[in-house]
Amino acid sequence: MSTWVEMLKSSQKTCLVQDGRKKIHYTFKNHTEMAEEYDMATFDLSVRKFRKKSTLGSSGQWEYEIGEATNITNIEELSIRESNTTPRFSAKYSKNAFQWRIRNLPYPLDNYSITVDDEKRQLVLRTKNKKYFKRISIPDMDRFHLPLDQNAVKLAHANNCLIISYQKPSQIIEHEKALHKELRKMKASKDGDVECNPS
Amino acid sequence: MLQAAATAGSVQEVREITRVERIGAHSHVRGLGLDDALEARQVSQGMVGQLSARRAAGIILEMIRDGKIAGRAALIAGHPGTGKTAIAMGMAQALGTDTPFTSIAGSEIFSLEMSKTEALTQAFRRSIGVRIKEETEIIEGEVVEIQIDRPATGSGQKVGKLILKTTEMETVYDLGSKMIESLTKEKVQAGDIITIDKATGKISRLGRSFTRARDYDAMGPQTKFVQCPEGELQKRKEVVHTVTLHEVDVINSRTQGFLALFSGDTGEIKTEVREQINTKVAEWREEGKADIVPGVLFIDEVHMLDIECFSFLNRALESDLAPILIMATNRGITKIRGTNYSSPHGIPIDLLDRLLIISTSPYDEDEVKQILTIRCEEEDVEISEDALSVLTKIGQDTSLRYAIQLITAANLVSRKRKGTEVSVDDVKRVYGLFLDESRTISFLKEYQKSFMFNEVDDEAATDPKGDADGDAMDVS
Repeated sequence: MSTWVEMLKSSQKTCLVQDGRKKIHYTFKNHTEMAEEYDMATFDLSVRKFRKKSTLGSSGQWEYEIGEATNITNIEELSIRESNTTPRFSAKYSKNAFQWRIRNLPYPLDNYSITVDDEKRQLVLRTKNKKYFKRISIPDMDRFHLPLDQNAVKLAHANNCLIISYQKPSQIIEHEKALHKELRKMKASKDGDVECNPS
Repeated sequence: MLQAAATAGSVQEVREITRVERIGAHSHVRGLGLDDALEARQVSQGMVGQLSARRAAGIILEMIRDGKIAGRAALIAGHPGTGKTAIAMGMAQALGTDTPFTSIAGSEIFSLEMSKTEALTQAFRRSIGVRIKEETEIIEGEVVEIQIDRPATGSGQKVGKLILKTTEMETVYDLGSKMIESLTKEKVQAGDIITIDKATGKISRLGRSFTRARDYDAMGPQTKFVQCPEGELQKRKEVVHTVTLHEVDVINSRTQGFLALFSGDTGEIKTEVREQINTKVAEWREEGKADIVPGVLFIDEVHMLDIECFSFLNRALESDLAPILIMATNRGITKIRGTNYSSPHGIPIDLLDRLLIISTSPYDEDEVKQILTIRCEEEDVEISEDALSVLTKIGQDTSLRYAIQLITAANLVSRKRKGTEVSVDDVKRVYGLFLDESRTISFLKEYQKSFMFNEVDDEAATDPKGDADGDAMDVS
């Protein structure tokens, strides 16, 4: 059993069904929070995000491992943000592959190259015209200490969007199957439920 | 020569900044003006005279820099307008931005929203810094282009765009008005390598890119060239920064979850929270994760505190997390507020006993002249030699503050008559227009009878001296 499974088991979990999605909130022992959202019908994982307590004790922003932030932030609050024409990176995992989409990338497919950095355990995406660069780590692979394989990566480009897929190893597919079985069993409170009974 | 270069360089800057930072009463003070042996130079860093007081302040400064001794207190006592606040400001400047320096006036702690002791505790905790490593997200890259659009109507939000690059990538950023302001303040331009702290919006300029080394022939001596950064623009970095204990308190006292909507921003902070933080900070210190940076709390007009505050101070100074406390007062032997007892400086003897007392003396003629010259420079006022002598005489006869006020007024008069510099006539004119303290008293004495309510209350009107004093005090 890996430490990740242990962590999941020992965490405190709450579950909620909202907008046809099963939302699960985990609080780990080190006060880190994780939230996941599964589609009720297909049980695809659409969002997985983390929130850590900073050293000083403030709770920071949610960090998205899968999916992307939906709330539109006000520029005056942040004072700097990426323009909406710049490439936007998001992860979406399917049943058999880890998949990342980078929208707003108009350049043709031969502009991109992707390599595996074994030392840092990351995929490295480069562009020939030096417009975009990204180091992609696969947290799920790290959690199971699996080596990265260059042959498992595929690139595709369509509609200004670059799609990178990495074939999931069988170990992970099996783990997810088992996990989903557990999660399906979890009782969820319905949206609009109140915790106390109003008399 | 060097001075000339410096002023030439700063002209543009001053024009840009005056709108943000106005010229205050002490904006000419840039330090204590001491040499390496802590001897005070006669005129330096905007400070003039008060040699022994400045020297004493310098020694206290060393004590603060050492950071070993907690809870010491000093009192700067002297007549109105002898540079007490200026010395405190000089100390703040000399300490730099990394050491917390909190400046409050004695009357500030009397508020309806907060108890006196809470306000004092907050001020104390604002003056203790914690240097700690924290992971933050930063943007690091070379500026390719910076574009700021002012709206055609002249008012409204500015919009801006910033293009940054590394050796591998390039990204366009939208800018908010705060970021635009700090970018212009830092004078960031294409070719600079900068980092932006995403959480705080703090910009630091690392230098200029090597690829831009040939852009200009002439270069300042402090221009540093650095390589264009590699990899991604956004990085996570461990940054060491200083936060005050009060900031940590506020972060941890916010109610979590939806209750946060209903709680006010600060208000009073629970003692339990503070205790928790104290133990946490002690833990960090032992683990070597954090350092304590003791700072300075400056309480101006300290005679405005009452007896409860003084006994609180006695107690608070004993804590090992206490900052260096500096107080200033212009009172002699007077009543302690909240009691019927008199005491030197209006401070109880038991607290006075713990203080190092620095006294300031009145300025002599040369010093007054020097200060007026410095103020003229600070306010960009050209003044003739004669006018300056007249102003010095006025400063000696009335008060330094009055003379300083006349500079601005005389400058306006001279500009209205399209003069190039302030002449004796301009000074005379404003001297006639605005009364000083002693003339207003003699005026009042003469025409006392014709003022309102005079026939009812005779005693109150014979004490205008006290009122005038109170006004002069508020300026400091």
